[in-house]
Formats: sequence, C-alpha cells, structure tokens
Amino acid sequence: MTLTTAPAPAAGTSTPASPTAGGLWRGNRGFVLLGLLVALAAVLAALLTGTSSGNGRLDPEDTTLNGGKALAQLLRRQGVQVERVSTVADAGRLDGPGTTLMVTDTSFLSDEELLRLVSGRSHLLIVGALPGLDRLAPGVTPLSEATPRSREPACALPAAVRAGSAHLGGTTFTGPRGSIGCYPGPDGATLVHVPTARTITVVGDGAFMTNQRLAEDGNAALAMNLAGARPVLVWLVAPDRPRPVPGSGEATLSELLPPGIPWAVAQLVIALLVVALWRGRRLGPVVVERLPVVVRAAETVEGRGRLYRARRARDRASATLRAACAARLVPRLGLPADAAPDEIIAATALRTGQDAVWVRSVMYGPPPADDAGLIALAGHLDTLERQVREP
Amino acid sequence: MALTGRAGLIAALGAIAVLFAPRPAYAVLGLLLLLAALVVVDLSLAGSVRPLRLRRGGERLVRLGEQVAVELIVENPGRRRVRGVLRDAWPPSAGASPRVQRLDVPAGERRRLVTTLVPTRRGDREAVTVAVRSLGPLGIAARQGSHHAPWTVRVLPPFLSRKHLPAKLSRLRELEGRHPALVRGQGTEFDSLREYVVGDDVRSIDWRATARRADVVVRTWRPERDRRVLIVLDTGRTAAGRVGTAPFPAAPTPAGTSGAAREPGGSGTSAAGWPRLDWSMDAALLLAALATRAGDRVDFLAHDRTVRAWTSGASRTDSLAALVNVMAPIDAELVESDSAAMVAAVLARAKRRCLVVLLTDLNPAAMDEGLLPVLPQLAARHLVLVAAVADPRVAEMAAGRGTAELVYDAAAAEHLRGQRARLTARLRRHGCEVVDAAPDDLAPALADAYLSLKAAGRL
Repeated sequence: MTLTTAPAPAAGTSTPASPTAGGLWRGNRGFVLLGLLVALAAVLAALLTGTSSGNGRLDPEDTTLNGGKALAQLLRRQGVQVERVSTVADAGRLDGPGTTLMVTDTSFLSDEELLRLVSGRSHLLIVGALPGLDRLAPGVTPLSEATPRSREPACALPAAVRAGSAHLGGTTFTGPRGSIGCYPGPDGATLVHVPTARTITVVGDGAFMTNQRLAEDGNAALAMNLAGARPVLVWLVAPDRPRPVPGSGEATLSELLPPGIPWAVAQLVIALLVVALWRGRRLGPVVVERLPVVVRAAETVEGRGRLYRARRARDRASATLRAACAARLVPRLGLPADAAPDEIIAATALRTGQDAVWVRSVMYGPPPADDAGLIALAGHLDTLERQVREP
Repeated sequence: MALTGRAGLIAALGAIAVLFAPRPAYAVLGLLLLLAALVVVDLSLAGSVRPLRLRRGGERLVRLGEQVAVELIVENPGRRRVRGVLRDAWPPSAGASPRVQRLDVPAGERRRLVTTLVPTRRGDREAVTVAVRSLGPLGIAARQGSHHAPWTVRVLPPFLSRKHLPAKLSRLRELEGRHPALVRGQGTEFDSLREYVVGDDVRSIDWRATARRADVVVRTWRPERDRRVLIVLDTGRTAAGRVGTAPFPAAPTPAGTSGAAREPGGSGTSAAGWPRLDWSMDAALLLAALATRAGDRVDFLAHDRTVRAWTSGASRTDSLAALVNVMAPIDAELVESDSAAMVAAVLARAKRRCLVVLLTDLNPAAMDEGLLPVLPQLAARHLVLVAAVADPRVAEMAAGRGTAELVYDAAAAEHLRGQRARLTARLRRHGCEVVDAAPDDLAPALADAYLSLKAAGRL
C-alpha cells in the first residue's frame, strides 16, 4: 500500500482555489437573471392591477368591487365634471345650482358641517339611510329594511322610467307631500325624489352604483341619470385619515421625538448589518474529517450484565460464577481438567479444612433465592478460592 | 471580500452624526455611500491574494504523540504589499496550531510561516487549504481567497512497546550466546567447526573432523536463523473495539466525556480507550523489531474481507520502517472478517513453513464461524500463533462484589472469560499457540512467546 495521494510536485507550487470575479458572474448569472425576472414580474403585476385607494364605501377612486371608479369614469366620459371632495369646505366651493352633491357618508361630519350642507344650493343625492338624514332631507323618513334585489320603477320619475329595472333595496322611505317614490319595497319606496327647486333624491342602497353591479340591469342608466343630471358632480367621501379631534391637544410620542431618532435607528441597523458581515465571514472552509467509530469493547459484556440484572437471572449468574470458580480451583488442587464434582468438593474441603457439606452447597447448591443470596454466594466463592490459594 | 470591525465602528458612530444632522435621511444615505466608497477604495488598494505563490516544506512523517513542524513559504509576486491573516487549514485530528497567523509580505518578497501539528490519530493527514485575508491600507475591508497547497503528513504508530525491546534483545542474546554455543540443543543448528581451546566441552569435539586434521576440532552451534515470520493483522470489526486507556488524548473533542456519560455506574475510566487494532500494531512492531534482530524475515499482512496491506520483508535494515509506514493508514473496518479469504491469502503468500502470528480477537461468535473451520488448513503447513488483546475492563468487572448489580456484571464478565478460555483450549488443541494478554502486556507477552518458540526450535 502506498500513499493514497500523489506527493506534491517538486516545486511545491500552490493553485488558487477561490473563484475569480468573472467565474462568480458566469456561475451565478442564471440566478441573477432569474431574480431580475421575478422583480420585473412583480412590478408589472402591481402596475396592471392599478391602485386601490379609498375607504371602500363607494369612492370614485376605488377600483375594488365596492368602489365607484367605473361610475366616475362613465360620468367623465359623458362630460360631467366629477370632483372627489372629503371636506365640506371643498364641497361648498363648488356649490351652485348646476351641481349635484352626492353624499355617501355623514359619520365624519360635525353638526355645523351638516348644517352647511343643508344650507347649500346644490342638488342632493343621498345614498343610504345616513345619520342626519332628517336634516338633509326633511320629510323623508326611513321605514324598514328591504333586501337589495332587482326592482321595477313603478313610478313617474323620468330618470327611473328611462332606466327601467335596477338593483335597489336597503331601506324603504316615505317622502313628504309632493315627493315621488319609486322602486317600491314591501311598505315604502327605496328611492324617493323630492322635486323642489333644490331637488333631493334619497336611495336606500348604493350597491347599484358600485363597480360590481354597474353593468347589470338598468343600474348604470339609473346611476347616470341621478348623478349626471347636472354638469358638475361633487362626490363627498370620508377623508382618508380621520381628522384629529380638536381640543384634545396631546401630542403623540412620535411627534415629540426629534426627527433624527428613527434615522439614527436605521443607521444602527446598517451598522448591525456591517458587523454581521464582519463576524459572519469565515476565513477558509469548514474542514470535515472521517472519524473512527468509538465503541468500547466491554459494551457487550456490560449489556449482558444489565440483561442479567433486568431479568434477575440469579440461576445463570450463579452458575457462571461457580463454573469460573471451579475452573480456577481445579488446576490449583492438582486435579485433571475433567474432574468430577465430588472429587473437587473433597479436595477443596481437604485443602481448606471447611465442611464438605458447606463446600458442596456453595459450589453445587441450588441457585440463590434472592439478590442478597447471590452476593453472599459470590463472597463464599471468593473465600474458598482464597483459602485454596493460601491454605 | 471581507469587512472588518472598523467598518462596523464607522457605521455605528455614524448613528450619532445622524442624530444631530439637520437632514437625517440624507445623512444616512451619505454615510452609506461614504462607507461603500471607503470599502471600494480599500479593496482596490489591498494586495491581491490570487497571485500569491505558496510552497511547503518540512516533515512528512511523525510518530503519534510527537509534534511536527510544517512550513509554508508565502511568496508575493504582486506589486502591492499583502498584509493580513492566513489560516493553514488542516483536519481537526492533525492538531494544527496556530489556527490563524499574521501575514505581512512586501511586494516581491517571501515569508516563512510555521504550523505545528500534534496529531491525535494515526493515518495520513492532508492539508486542506490555505486561506488568506489581505487587508487594505485603511483596514476597513479585505480581499480574501484560498489556495490549495497540498501536503501530507503520515502519522505513524507510536511503537510504545519499544521500551521492552532492550530487555527482549538481551534475552535473545542470551539465547544466541553471542559466541556460538558448544552444546547442541533444541533450536540450534550447525554453525561451524573451529579449533579446540582449553575450556571447551569435550563432548563437542567432532572426532571425524579431528581425524582429518592435525588439530582437535569442535563443532559450534547457533540458534536457527533465516526463519520467516508472517504477521497477520485482522482489521475487521473486532479490531475497532476500544480497550484499555489511550496513551494520548484521544481527540480534540472530549470523546471521553460522552463515553462516561453512556456508562452510568461504570468505574472511573473516562477515556474511551484505544482500539484493539492499535494495541495489536504495537505488539506487531515489537515482534518485528525482535525478529529482524534475530535474523528472521518478517512479512506483514493486514486483512479483513480483502487484503488491506501487504509487505514482504525487504532488506533487513529498513523492514521496520517499511512496516511502520504500511501500518500507518490502516483503520479498522466495520465488517466481519473473512477468515477463509485470510487463510487463502496467507497460503498464497507463504510457500515455505513459517510462523504465522495472527493478531485478532478471541471473540467466540466470530471465531466459531470464521477461523476455527479453516484453521486446520493453516496449522497443517505453518506454525500458528494467535495473539489477542484482553479487555482489562472485563477483569475489573469480574472482580466486582458488594452489590447485586456488580455481582451480575461479574457473572457476565466471567461468562466471557469462560468462553475465551474454552476457545483458547480449542485453539491449542489445533496445535496453535495462544497469547491472550491485557493491552499493556500484549507486546512483551508476544515477544516472550516468540523467544520461547525460537528457543524450543519450533520455528
């Protein structure tokens, strides 16, 4: 057998083992390209789905199923100027007889703002049984719930008649004298139109104007007729961020902190990354080695001892001890290797001066009845052996 | 590429600057760019690692338990100074130190680094790789690369039993008599005729030769020489079992603690011991040294299922060196030895009668199935001596008394000893010699057995 590896060349030259920059690029460009493709696909997908903003309650910017972007687009194409406002002040700036004000939510309005809406000159389109409905549309009172479903107009309102059946429901109303109730539910109309100088229209539910339902029935026509009746549509929606409650005056913790703190934390994170790179870079590879098996040769014997112990195998244990003792005594007593038990007992008794009956019971008696007996037997065997060795 | 602690420090101190900067966002961005620029500059100014030329020198052989220095000459043919750290990576059992060394090689010069190995295991240890990290002048970033600088150190068996060699050699000399013996005895052969001098035994006078010449001539005798000894080492699974106490710390990892943990209630022997194979090698080396001095030829065969190593006694002077070299890389294989194949290999190699010393374990199960059926073939043509390492732990267990657990263990130990004794008797009946001794005593016991065989002229 010779050396398994060829000895080093005479010059003992070394060869570089690390890859070069070019080698790294050639080896990993597939992964780099794959990563770029994934990033590109993610960007494209984000662009194609478009933005979805707004709070989801019939917002003209919202492209989800509950949004109103489709309706806003249709109206703009018809030449209606659609203005999305989230404050009463903005709505008041566009106030006028040529304006329809669509209200889908009043929960964010204070009482004064509600009054300003009421005192405006715009035509009102109120969607749903909103809080403050009694002030916005005096005389229109909600009656009961009605399941939104496709209903027939069953009235003389031109906008409704032209549109035909539409998906309406939500709440039924009774109007004041002179009002027109359309799309009747079980006990009242789900659309009430009050034809005063400043027309007020209340619908029980805005579902027919959403992106999801706009294409069904006469929904689109009804929505266009109601919202696009005037050249300007002011669409009042809840503001994206709730305005701070005036008067509370408590600044939050983040407002009290100097502006540098979050950036300093960011800088510390960068420092942490640099330290991680420093500590994480290993000098050279981890060296592996085939290790020899470590097994103690005595384990099988220990295992056998435990088996004896577990089964309380006093018979086998005592027989083995007695046989071993006899095997050691026989040559010392000058007997042949195949001596009979009686000869061994006699010779042992003679040599040690012990009683032959006791020697027989120790060397050839029944197995001990308990562990104490086994320990005693081992002691007796030792005694016999010692006495034979040193009479 | 690698970064240093300075880069981290700069980034961390930057956090304070960011805290007081008027435009913190820009400060973070600026610091990041500054750090990147510093790293790039430092990297581009650092000495290149790739063109470094490494050469090795030093020792290729070492006895287990001794230390050896392997030198590494680093030559820098580049234009820039290479300053940084170097790691000469060796397998853990090579015991290389220091792990990492400082390196500073000016352009066009070379430096010599020394790695000291204290191997903990027999066999060939190969250098894995040399990794160099070259710092830039700012100490912020470093270039890093590795080189293959092959080198192999062969760790030889320690031959601990050589301390017994002088005593055995003096016994051999007694046997040999240095001056040829005049008495014909067993184990002697005719040496020469020489003139009678006063004091010679008159019974040794060769009357026929005396009659032919004018002088009185005596015959002289000497111990038989030029016998063959074939040492067969069993490298099968039984050779892997560990017995006794390892003379060296077993491994850099504390294997002894796990061994002790697996053995609750065991005695204080914490070390995992030394494989039977290594004890057997030790005994084989003493025997080979002795037999070579006694003028016999020593062959060596290592076998488990196939021939693992074979060396036929080369010239008398370097046969021990050859033997040690052949033994070094042998490890026990966890397979059952194929005794029939082993006997066939011995018979194919030893045409003349010789002493076959079989170093194996007296394992009853393995012997019954393996060696005993094929032993007569071997014993018919050669003198067979079976040498086995007894486990001192078994003797220790056999003496256990006092508690029931210890007595049960003692019974188990006696069971094994009884089996070994019966096996020894069966082997002797086949005409084999058997040496069954504790690890420390095996080598002298085997040497004694050889000497007594030689004295009895049975070789």
